[in-house]
Amino acid sequence: MFNCLKMTLKIDIAYAINAFLYTLRTLPIFKDLLTEDIYKSKSIKNILTILSLFLSILRLLTFRFFYFLLIYELSKFLSPKSISETFIHLYFIFTIIGLFINNGLLNTSIKKYLSIILFNMNAKKYLQSNLLLRLFLSFILNSIFFILFSKFLNLSYLICLLLVLFSLTARIIGESLNIMYYKKFNYIWYNNTSLYLLVLGVFLGLTLLPLIKITTSNSIIILSTIISLPLSIISLIYLNKINDYRLIFKRLNNKNTVMNKENAKAYSRQAMFEVKEKDKNISAKKLKGKKGYDLFNTIFFERHKEILSRSSKNYALVIGIIYIVIVSLVLSNIVNIEKSISNFLLNRIGWFVIIMYFINRGAIITQAMFFNCDHSMLTYNFYKEPKVLLNLFKKRLVTLIKVNLLPAIVIAFGNTILLSIVTDATILEYLTSSMFIIVLSIFFSVHYLVIYYLLQPFNKDMEIKKPSYSIVSLITYIASYKISGITTSTITFSIIGSILTIIYMVVALILVYKKAPQTFKLN
Amino acid sequence: MKLEIKELSKSYNQSIVLEDINFTFEEGKIYGLIGRNGAGKTTLFNCLNEDIETDSGEFYLEDEYGKNKLQTKDIGYVISTPIVPEFLTAKEFLTFFLEINSDNDKINKSIDEYFELVGIEEKDQEKLLKEYSHGMKNKIQILINIIANPKVILLDEPLTSLDIIIQDEMKKLLKSLKKDHIIIFSTHILELALDLCDSIVILNHHKLELVEKNNLNTKKYKDKIIESLKDEQHV
Repeated sequence: MFNCLKMTLKIDIAYAINAFLYTLRTLPIFKDLLTEDIYKSKSIKNILTILSLFLSILRLLTFRFFYFLLIYELSKFLSPKSISETFIHLYFIFTIIGLFINNGLLNTSIKKYLSIILFNMNAKKYLQSNLLLRLFLSFILNSIFFILFSKFLNLSYLICLLLVLFSLTARIIGESLNIMYYKKFNYIWYNNTSLYLLVLGVFLGLTLLPLIKITTSNSIIILSTIISLPLSIISLIYLNKINDYRLIFKRLNNKNTVMNKENAKAYSRQAMFEVKEKDKNISAKKLKGKKGYDLFNTIFFERHKEILSRSSKNYALVIGIIYIVIVSLVLSNIVNIEKSISNFLLNRIGWFVIIMYFINRGAIITQAMFFNCDHSMLTYNFYKEPKVLLNLFKKRLVTLIKVNLLPAIVIAFGNTILLSIVTDATILEYLTSSMFIIVLSIFFSVHYLVIYYLLQPFNKDMEIKKPSYSIVSLITYIASYKISGITTSTITFSIIGSILTIIYMVVALILVYKKAPQTFKLN
Repeated sequence: MKLEIKELSKSYNQSIVLEDINFTFEEGKIYGLIGRNGAGKTTLFNCLNEDIETDSGEFYLEDEYGKNKLQTKDIGYVISTPIVPEFLTAKEFLTFFLEINSDNDKINKSIDEYFELVGIEEKDQEKLLKEYSHGMKNKIQILINIIANPKVILLDEPLTSLDIIIQDEMKKLLKSLKKDHIIIFSTHILELALDLCDSIVILNHHKLELVEKNNLNTKKYKDKIIESLKDEQHV
């Protein structure tokens, strides 16, 4: 088992280093500097191995730190007067959620495919050694941050120790329960969406208990840990008895099509754009009276309902429910959040920039456009005619704006209701805040379509071939995040924000009209 | 050595792909599996390789030690679109593979000898597999299967997109392997099958059928195969 782990790590490191060098070589500065021989340079690889190990440790520490920090911040938000108890409660509930969701043995990944299928590793040894590594890391990392946070939050050492242990036992029990379920029903339990939502809903609901001053008592934690110890031993015995891990992996891999094409990563991305069976037939009513590129565009958007209108409606529904919950909480006076909401809506409207960034479907829709349409259409010369390109761009832009507008309208409406309940906002505040949300939604739709037309970064395997696209995407994220932190009045922010956004959109659209016929092509 | 398929059936929803197939493949031969597009050649291979569940059926391998159920380790499956670890060099891939499979007593050559076997030159050995052409990736895929030395080798249209030089090298290699293996070679290029294979099996009406050559010349044999395929109600 130790050898198996050693080999896995060796392959992982070699893979990561080569991928890093390969990316480096695609950048203009390094292109000439680094030749193909770089992959055989032992000295460079040795240095990068040390660096890679260091970065991996740093990444693990950072992620775990942010996990603890998130729990701390949530505790502060849910129950400012009893942060320590809430912290313990949230950690305990999150560990149970992890028990169901973390699925190290059954998830399919490229890494697993390489090890089990291509390298012909013993699947059982591979999976067991990886589980062991995850348990070991979990033990070390949780111990470190419990020591840190226990001092800071004045937590009981005994409870911290029990929670560290419970994290391990819960993981082992979870893995065996998941496999047991798979063997009985022939699918992973969370692929049953209603069951998944039910389990997640119940446990996420439990995380809100501190709002009504209920937290997990120490005795429950002690009892749970004691019960979980023998259960985890039974689970380990059960996991060790299973001998057909390779077969299970092959079946799952085939179902999830993680690696059935030349480029696995690309394929898993491509799977996202798959047209659903039910969307293949479009009703004649929808196509009536349409012809030419109008018809072409309608067919595309109708076939991609799953990632377009349906997904937009789902987002709108979820957002609507969130607003209903917040409004109900405010009206029922269970928690005193009126002041925070009022402050948020009147002075922190910048947060909606990052929210709109996350809910906008522009990025995925442009990828679907390329993979399911443009990647083949761009091989025809008539499709590259400036008139055709721009005509289609216009139609796509209108549809994209419409798709993204629905969740934005729900947010704008929700904000208006909240403003009317928790503040004495002026009409100008109502209007500017709603207008800003709508402008933001249009902005992101324009932005993603414009950068797609100006940079067209994808190749047929859906790999991003132009670093400029990744850089622009990163800048978009960083800018959205930074803007979110700005504290200023809603009126000022909305007006200035809207003007700047509109200027950007005008410039971007002019650029597309001037440059897209040259830039929108196959890589 | 014999590979026996017994009562194999496989359907997708209402559509029958393979129906009650009974067939035996023998060692020392390259079988050309011919069928029209969508006939179920890949499905048959996926069933044999346990990539998908069958509706019914068993597979057995019979050798001098007796008749046993076919196991995954007995099969090498070369798919038409080669999958390789893109961000490893060919040398790294082979080194790791040999290290992981060091307990396999059939591995008896050095890395250089293995590379020589499929004609991968030294300058290409240190290249990332991502930068390999389709044909070169295919060579690596076949090489890995040769090293693992399974008893049954399934090849799903592996030569179709290769240039003529690599195709020729691969044909020679496969011919050299057939002595101790059962090789099933799926293709829809009849000329390739006739050139390389010792026996032609067609997947017809969801069943496997050996097309006997008897004393026919190549032209007449070809016509006979085409007639058999035309007979099929294409899905």
